[in-house]
Amino acid sequence: MNASMMNTLVQTLALIELSITCAVVCIWVLQKFSPNPLPFAAKIFLVILLGNILFWPLGIDLPLVAYVRGVTGDLSIVLTLLLWSSLLPSHKPAPITFKFAVAFIALCFYPFALGVGMIDPYAWGYGSIVFLATVLFFALVCGLANWSKGVWIIAIAIIAWSAHWHESANLWDYLLDPFLAIWAICTCIGVMYRSKRDKARSGYLFRPG
Amino acid sequence: MSRVIALCFLLLAAVIGFLHIDSRPVWVPFAVTPISAEETLEESLATKNKGSIKTSTPMPQSHWLPDTGAPSVHAASLITLNDGTVRAFWFAGSREGAADVSIYSSVYDAKSASWSAPTVAMDRISAEKGLSRYIAKLGNPVPARLADGRLQLFFVTVSIGGWAGSSISTVISDDEGLTWGNPQRLISSPLLNLSTLVKSPSIAFTDGLLGVPAYHEWIGRFGELLRVDAGRVIDKRRMSSGRSAIQPMVFVNDAQDASAYFRQTRSAGLPKQIPVSHTQNAGQTWQQSEDLVIANPNSAITGLVLKSGARILVLNNIENGRYRLVLLMSDPKVEQWQTLEVLEDDEALSNIERKEFSYPYLITVDGDDAHLVYTWDRKKIRHRYFPSEWMRQAFAKLQTEVQDKSQEKPQAASASGQGAQQ
Repeated sequence: MNASMMNTLVQTLALIELSITCAVVCIWVLQKFSPNPLPFAAKIFLVILLGNILFWPLGIDLPLVAYVRGVTGDLSIVLTLLLWSSLLPSHKPAPITFKFAVAFIALCFYPFALGVGMIDPYAWGYGSIVFLATVLFFALVCGLANWSKGVWIIAIAIIAWSAHWHESANLWDYLLDPFLAIWAICTCIGVMYRSKRDKARSGYLFRPG
Repeated sequence: MSRVIALCFLLLAAVIGFLHIDSRPVWVPFAVTPISAEETLEESLATKNKGSIKTSTPMPQSHWLPDTGAPSVHAASLITLNDGTVRAFWFAGSREGAADVSIYSSVYDAKSASWSAPTVAMDRISAEKGLSRYIAKLGNPVPARLADGRLQLFFVTVSIGGWAGSSISTVISDDEGLTWGNPQRLISSPLLNLSTLVKSPSIAFTDGLLGVPAYHEWIGRFGELLRVDAGRVIDKRRMSSGRSAIQPMVFVNDAQDASAYFRQTRSAGLPKQIPVSHTQNAGQTWQQSEDLVIANPNSAITGLVLKSGARILVLNNIENGRYRLVLLMSDPKVEQWQTLEVLEDDEALSNIERKEFSYPYLITVDGDDAHLVYTWDRKKIRHRYFPSEWMRQAFAKLQTEVQDKSQEKPQAASASGQGAQQ
């Protein structure tokens, strides 16, 4: 396979991947406003329907998903698989510890990666053995904490990076993206807010007289 | 049981990941063109004996890049083709950042001293289709020569927002720029790949890979050296940090040592001079050093190392505005920059009448001459050619002047010393 065909294949697969992801996000939003959970078959039907609407050009110059990709680029494998797995009937939310860890990593990572100081953690993602070992250790901790899905997701992300699945050659781009970071940070803020509120309520009801 | 299977899969991923890292090219020294020091010395002595630049020396020439019919043009760049001609790239459209902006190309034939009719190298629609994503505008074409002889063109595209939202894309040509392959996106930033741009010529590594001096100008304004393998960034190193230096231009001193000069983007009150970074390990780490004390009004600079060892810079050596453009030369042994020629100067005109001379780009064809292109009032691209003989004699004259000055200093010191003894 020559470089041109390889590039075309990478672009097509990326559009398919993002079409499915956008369809899953639409279903997630739909479910937020729906009083009853959608059956699994209905979710799959909607993914196929919306995915096709997004993927094919439908009379305009570019498919709709190309406009989304113009802004977002390729999403990380971790976010993509977390979203896709949310459709499964046996879906369980990611552990809060994982969300806190992602939020913490993102808050430490982005300022330095975007120009604060001369240390660039993003550059580690191109081929640092120490960085890869750290990612593997993180996945191992997920496994020991009995969150096998996390292990699968991180392992697939590492294999996708090794196989040049996306345009990026940087492992960070397969593990983390701004949307995953925003989701983790917002969830953590929500959890902390609810915890504080519950504590305040319980303190009001049960404070010693 | 499911956990055991997951951990086994992780082990497989670990092995694949480590094998992938092991297969990556290691960082290697810069490829360096040897400097013909002996030749330079001989010529220097010959010129010293004969005096200043001879009147028979071929003089610099001036041309205009061909008109595309578009009212706004900018960001020209050059590359030498295999037959010794020069290909230029620039962008033109109804205005900078408009959807109708395309990247044009033309070839200069030195024998006839003329530019060919312009052709479109890349337009927005081709970029959109090739990159499979919406593109709002494109700009900043920068050509490079791959180790296998093919021509590569880097350019920036924007999908949303201004130039700060740019990403770099690239196309490769097998026929010296007559036709181009599918564009590919270079991924160089973790934040939606936003805000990486290119302006300056690439440098080569000994393994044939390119070092592309790039920069970010959104949250931070800093330079980075991208190590590029055809259509993929395989490593990168930060050349500066903060919000004060963009558009790095690299002078390679030897296989390990290089200096990067930047366009300054400092806030008011800080020195309007050229920020400098330095590497002593072939670009793996960079240290920010003292400014080059030449005024810079937040405007692009360009530079070139000639075979003789002479270094030349073209820039706006004023603190505000872009109405003057000068050609400077330096002998790297003494690091003193002297003005060779004032290329454009509208200082005598009022502010409204002053034109903009910006985005200079330099290349050499035979190692001693220099081709320069720059934006002329955003309406045209001017091409200036400085022949080898003219450059050599200018360098010899510069060396003579520096030698004379260095001889004068000890004499003056010894005279003042004698005076003190008396």
